[in-house]
Amino acid sequence: MALGLDVPAELAEGAWIEWRPVRRPYGRHQQSAAGSEAAKAALAAAGSAERNVSRDPDGRPRFPRGFAGSISHTERLAVAAVVPGAEAVGIDIENAVISPRVSEFVLRERERRTLLPPAGRYTPRELFSAKEAAFKALNGIGTLGEFLFWQIELSQSDDMLIASYGGERVPVWVRSEAGLSLALAIRR
Amino acid sequence: MPDTAEARQRIRSLLVELLGNDQFVSRVSDTESLRTAGLSSHALVGLLVAMEDAFGFEWQDDVEPEVLRSIDSLAGYVVALRN
Repeated sequence: MALGLDVPAELAEGAWIEWRPVRRPYGRHQQSAAGSEAAKAALAAAGSAERNVSRDPDGRPRFPRGFAGSISHTERLAVAAVVPGAEAVGIDIENAVISPRVSEFVLRERERRTLLPPAGRYTPRELFSAKEAAFKALNGIGTLGEFLFWQIELSQSDDMLIASYGGERVPVWVRSEAGLSLALAIRR
Repeated sequence: MPDTAEARQRIRSLLVELLGNDQFVSRVSDTESLRTAGLSSHALVGLLVAMEDAFGFEWQDDVEPEVLRSIDSLAGYVVALRN
């Protein structure tokens, strides 16, 4: 793995994803800076003339109009996704070990039964990340009011997950490699 | 039964245990948004689970997001539960 994870071509069509390493000492400011660098690179690749991503008072990134985007980071790695023309985008990377207790807290009984092995093929970390990515995308619609990421419901649909909350849905793609999970939710 | 100050202090202790150091706790105020201050979603859920054990309750599915915003709002919720 070079830096980050590859996204399959069918999903990457029209989506610009950029990774940046977090510099030492890997603190909050370095993580934020790496996220901003990744966002600028993704906006540039997507053809946006405006490449600055401001922040709302609650910390949410505000991408230029017409260039829906999202940022995520771990302690050492940042990623940004930009999808021109999409209604909303959510991306999440996660490297934490999800304990059974945290899994039980975040996933409903039906989700654990159908999406985790043996019936399902996802790991708790992938589902955690999927809910986070879906939360960012659904929150970006701006019509659902305040909610919590674990209140989103996940279900299987072909090769994707479908995330639902408040009557709104968004497909979520997830992949893991070398201790890192990536989830991408795009509402076109 | 904890009062608000005791609950705040216990929540700070739980965060130190969870994060393995006091760097975050030493710079976050009681009223500051934990997420905006840099607490990850995974750490936030870890804190909520730890609070269930420490204070002997279970979070409701429909808890209001504002309750989870800060150390102060979390402490207020715990105290209100006990009263």
